[in-house]
Amino acid sequence: MGPVQNFAEPETTAPLLMVRGVSKRFGNTQALADVTLEFRAGEIHAVLGENGAGKSTLMHILAGIYRPDAGAVLLDGWPAVFNSPRAARRAGIGMVHQHFTLVETLTVAENLALSLPQQSGWRYDAAAAAAEARALAERVGLDLSPTELTVAELPVGARQRIEILKALAHAARVLILDEPTAVLTPQEVRKLFVMLRELRAQRRLIIFITHKLREVREIADRVTIMRRGCVVGTFDPALLSESEMAEHMIGDVVPARPRVTERARGDIVLNVTRLSARDERGLPALLDVSFVVRGSEVFGIAGVDGNGQRELFEVLAGLRPPSGGAVSVRGSPVTDFTPRALLAAGIGHIPPDRQRDGLVLPMTVQENFLLSRTLLDRCSRRGLLSVKAARRFSAAAARAYDVRADLDAPARSLSGGNQQRVVVARALAQRPAVLVAANPSRGLDVAATRAVADALLDSAGRGCAVVLISTDLDEVLDLSDRVAVLSRGRLSTGLDPPIDIEQLGLLMAGVPR
Amino acid sequence: MQALAARFGPSVLALAGALAVSALIVALAGRDPAVAFGALWYGAFGSADSLSEVAVKTCPLLLCGLAIAISFQAGVWNIGVEGQLLMGALAMAALGTHALPLPAGLTLGAYLIAAAAAGAVWAGIAGVLKLRRNVNEVISTIMLNFVALGLIGYLVQGPLMEAGGRYPQTDAILPALWMPRLVLGHRAHAGLPLALLIAGAMHVLLYRGVAGYEMRAAGLNPAAARLAGIGVDGRLLLSLLVSGALAGLAGGIEVSAVTHRLYEHFSPGWGFTAIAVGLLGRLSPAGVVVAAVFFGALDAGSNAMQRAAGVSSVLVSIIQAVVILSLVALERGRWLPGRTATVVRED
Repeated sequence: MGPVQNFAEPETTAPLLMVRGVSKRFGNTQALADVTLEFRAGEIHAVLGENGAGKSTLMHILAGIYRPDAGAVLLDGWPAVFNSPRAARRAGIGMVHQHFTLVETLTVAENLALSLPQQSGWRYDAAAAAAEARALAERVGLDLSPTELTVAELPVGARQRIEILKALAHAARVLILDEPTAVLTPQEVRKLFVMLRELRAQRRLIIFITHKLREVREIADRVTIMRRGCVVGTFDPALLSESEMAEHMIGDVVPARPRVTERARGDIVLNVTRLSARDERGLPALLDVSFVVRGSEVFGIAGVDGNGQRELFEVLAGLRPPSGGAVSVRGSPVTDFTPRALLAAGIGHIPPDRQRDGLVLPMTVQENFLLSRTLLDRCSRRGLLSVKAARRFSAAAARAYDVRADLDAPARSLSGGNQQRVVVARALAQRPAVLVAANPSRGLDVAATRAVADALLDSAGRGCAVVLISTDLDEVLDLSDRVAVLSRGRLSTGLDPPIDIEQLGLLMAGVPR
Repeated sequence: MQALAARFGPSVLALAGALAVSALIVALAGRDPAVAFGALWYGAFGSADSLSEVAVKTCPLLLCGLAIAISFQAGVWNIGVEGQLLMGALAMAALGTHALPLPAGLTLGAYLIAAAAAGAVWAGIAGVLKLRRNVNEVISTIMLNFVALGLIGYLVQGPLMEAGGRYPQTDAILPALWMPRLVLGHRAHAGLPLALLIAGAMHVLLYRGVAGYEMRAAGLNPAAARLAGIGVDGRLLLSLLVSGALAGLAGGIEVSAVTHRLYEHFSPGWGFTAIAVGLLGRLSPAGVVVAAVFFGALDAGSNAMQRAAGVSSVLVSIIQAVVILSLVALERGRWLPGRTATVVRED
């Protein structure tokens, strides 16, 4: 597709960094398709896109972590495809990852010494390292925490500053930040932005990956929006409203499958009232979330990742105690937020990461079919598993959900689609009153995606109240009877079809109505 | 069959490697490996008496190997089997000088249970530290070994020293509490059949029991087990307690059946050899039985080899060490604590 060029100012400077026709494929997924893009010195350039839009892949190519299948990267007009992050750093491209790469038990000076051009000789000279660190901070113009503190003693914002210093240690002219604000408090975000403006004033190029529209408007000089591996266009954020950005991000989504059979909705099964929860850092992640789901209804919760989806799933699965609010199933309130109690209350789940939370990969398929307290109780007597009952149950579940695998093979040997079929079959075979599914088709091929969708609709058809938490908007619109949007921990009111895409985009962008 | 080969293939490879390395060392030392291994074999299986010795050496290795198997399967790295065994031996030695108003058989049974409980308590310390204070059990169980060793050193030279006061050892336990022998005139005792029964019970627990299933799931993927409603912490603690109990029982049986008293350096390192036994047996009870007999035979045959072929019995330690190293290398660290995976994620 031809990118919509919409530059605000005429090009006065030659681009510092150019990406020309870059493509990259992982297995069956085209992560980047013929991407062309340019970045100038002295600008803060935001790259905006949904999960899976390809922005991280592109940045990993710039930073020498991946190599493109086709296309070229030009730095100052010279070809610059790097074989390693180290080579990219030497050429002046530094990247700060979302997950920090600091050694927590070492001091600030020691951490920086690891990245600085090597000191001569064998000995580590603490005084020299501290001086080098201070010199670097001064050169870059950033405050530095006392060099003798260990990283473990520093708050997240200060650690990020050290990461930025590390990235700039080799006189970097290009600084790539991968969702730098995701881990920061609002105060720390303000400090980061001051720092970035300072670096911009030194004519450095700052590439800023985000999916937060507000930040784009606040800090970026230009924004490139990506969708499904392609560049939609590069824009001046001042001339683009947040809802326009959201629309570009999401694209023109048309529900792929119009609802043919309207299911009769039953009584209220799941009632969530003013539910709140905190994340690992103790910051509010869910704020007064309320919704009801009726039997035979699929309630879709859309939104950009990192807006409380994980926390909502974990509360409903019993992995995270809520900090406030109530959940009730068929009128009886949940008092004990543990996985076991929620399973017993009739809430089944499909976790977002099947390999991490859904399966024990070295165990056999049959053993994985039993991985649930309620099923273990059902297939055992006086603490001993009944081999026959377990076999009968697993074989029936495998047949019903088309799991094509030897029951005695380790789950590890199954394809992703078959693994997810096991997880789905196990959840639904328990006939839950409520099913909470988080990104159930992430990473699946078309056939498996369709099988998962059919299974969800089928369970709704049998009276189950389905909560579908997904960052895949197509999936949400395709399957849901009602849709709400989770944004910055708050849930919008439910939208009934036909769903107004523009309104949905505004909600996803966190624009108050 | 294929699954069996996949499971035990590395064990066979490790064994072959260990035997090859030790043969090479024997040859380098200027002896004939064939003669040395022949003597080793004869020393283990050549006569009724040597077979009986194999049984004696196998018993503690089997129980301790099972202790390793159950804790490792649950993902708990109990390196403290040695200390737990010593605490079991201490319980038997301390109690065994006193009679109970019961038939001798029942008294012995009660004292063996007490020995198992002592081992479980010792392991439980590490378990509580892990769950309450997040103390890595590898560190705490290793340290508790030294505490047990020091405690016994103090007791046998102080409060529990024998009445005559000549040697740093406890009084002999009452002869009525000696574990019955299997065949008159041979040292093989009823501990081995008991250990084999326990191995069978462990097999049922691990592969048929709900508790065993939950332990294995918790060990292989705690996150998934937790989401499935399994009480992961409770299962970890249970596996550690059972592990400690098996080790304590091994110590109790050894005092009751073989030494009849406790002294410093009571154990030649059974708790550590047991790690090799457990790994070689691939942490399955049936595999542990085979591995324990193998190591028991090595142990029993090594003295004969030293006498007949002039090859130091230290060779057996080399075989054990190479077995552990090869297994760990073949598994690429799968059985090591804190295994990590590097995953590059898309977006």
